Amino acid sequence: MFGLIGHLTSLDHAKAVARRLGFDEYADQGLEFWCSAPPQIVDEITVKSLTGSEIKGLYVESCFLPEMLAGNRFKTAIRKILNAMAHAQKHGIDITALGGFSSIIFENFNLAQLLQVRNIQLDIQRFTTGNTHTAYIIVRQIEEASRKFGIDLAKAVITVCGASGDIGSAVCRWLTANTDFRELLLVARNQEKLHNLRSQLGRGKVTDLAHALPLSDIIVWVASMAKGMAINVNQLKRPCILIDGGYPKNMENTISADGIYVINGGIVEHSLDIDWKIMDIVNMAAPARHLFACFAESMLLEFEGWHTNFSWGRNQITVDKMQQIGTVSIKHGFRPLIG
Amino acid sequence: MTPELDYQSPSYCDAYSRINAIVIEGEREAHDNYLTLGEMLPELQGDFAKLAKMEDKHKKGFIACGKNLNVEPDMQFAQLFFAQLHGNFQKAAQAGDVVTCLLIQSLLIECFAIAAYNIYIPVADPFARKITEGVVKDEYLHLNYGEEWLKQHFTQSKSQLEQANRQNLPLIWKMLNQVEQDAKTLGMEKEALVEDFMIQYGESLGKIGFNTREIMKMSAMGLVPA
Repeated sequence: MFGLIGHLTSLDHAKAVARRLGFDEYADQGLEFWCSAPPQIVDEITVKSLTGSEIKGLYVESCFLPEMLAGNRFKTAIRKILNAMAHAQKHGIDITALGGFSSIIFENFNLAQLLQVRNIQLDIQRFTTGNTHTAYIIVRQIEEASRKFGIDLAKAVITVCGASGDIGSAVCRWLTANTDFRELLLVARNQEKLHNLRSQLGRGKVTDLAHALPLSDIIVWVASMAKGMAINVNQLKRPCILIDGGYPKNMENTISADGIYVINGGIVEHSLDIDWKIMDIVNMAAPARHLFACFAESMLLEFEGWHTNFSWGRNQITVDKMQQIGTVSIKHGFRPLIG
Repeated sequence: MTPELDYQSPSYCDAYSRINAIVIEGEREAHDNYLTLGEMLPELQGDFAKLAKMEDKHKKGFIACGKNLNVEPDMQFAQLFFAQLHGNFQKAAQAGDVVTCLLIQSLLIECFAIAAYNIYIPVADPFARKITEGVVKDEYLHLNYGEEWLKQHFTQSKSQLEQANRQNLPLIWKMLNQVEQDAKTLGMEKEALVEDFMIQYGESLGKIGFNTREIMKMSAMGLVPA
């Protein structure tokens, strides 16, 4: 059985979802209540592969909200993730993806040191960040979107915002290894990590967002931010492809202008309908078929019987592993969403 | 992540005098409650007597914890603290209401004890940590005993469990609020206690036979405004 640990994007989102699911006890409550709310299994899932095999899974809502990080409630955030992981393990889930902030919290707060949760010893082999598949899907989105919207990659300037992160660095590694492009601009808050990445890649230019935006033909957003930032469309080149893989989205505002193409980053489309309700809740355009690539990774690992923490640690995603997960992604019927 | 605690400081000892007393009184009442349950269900009297004996052992362990820190437990505070819940148990026992008695002792008190002990262990002094680690293992067994009985009698007990939950869970939140500051002095956060309780209680209700929707409703009963 596979599992997904997820969370909602804000307190308002959480209240609306609780109301929609009929959990009125949760719908009217403020942040304090969510800080004490236990993890819940809120969906049972059946997924079919193009190969014909069928798997079952559970969705665990951690009750974590990004406001907890924004308000410096780090202990609360840590507890939410550890409790959700213990909940998944207790329910016998073989491989669980840590969606959204879950894996970021695990890594940033070094939760590998805190694996004893009450009477449960967490087995990290049962968890995956899902970031390898997300990174793979984003690079495929770059390739396919550039074809679709008439941008010649060989002449393109690509900016990766959040380049020093787990997904961002993997995207950069893939691009430098496999893609012919003109320039790669590396943007992130942590300059030291960014310069280290630049040394490892042997290509790319460290810069800041203000300089990068007007130069870029393609911008990949994979920064971890509790709240998105406003983008001024007038700063952007035409045409320009924006691939936003943040959760919550890195770009706060909806951008709609001629020659600007916004792609829902890190999202896959499955070839067959999935029997679940949770993607409706996170406002996917086609909830039966669209899902986060990180969640799809736990499905792929279950389909293949790879019950192991395929994506783990920080900045350890290799191009070979991206290729490996990409091959089974295609085999089971997933493809990058271009929209 | 855990702030350094000075187990000998006056503020720690003052808070400990109440928390330690609550734990001692809780174990004492658990002992008595299990003996009462044994009288109500004579075919299980032997089992309940064993549980009662274990609670008595726990009580002695926690008395030793107080002595170890040279703290005099405030037993008067603890008796008042439990008075209402104790009264509800007694009332149910007199009415022969086994379901309510089991909900109060085997579910609410045991789940709360498990949550509190698990949160306490990482911040306890070394002596109390060892004692509490032993106790919490026993409490899981006690919880399981109540769960099993209620699971076997779920259909006929369901509405009584819901009613008993409605009457008694709000008391648990009230009791928690009363000692929020003392618990904090001992390094235990209220929101962590509430969350751990809800996890444990929800799991127990699930084992007994309640579905997710019912569990969410029941375990949040009376929490806001807490």
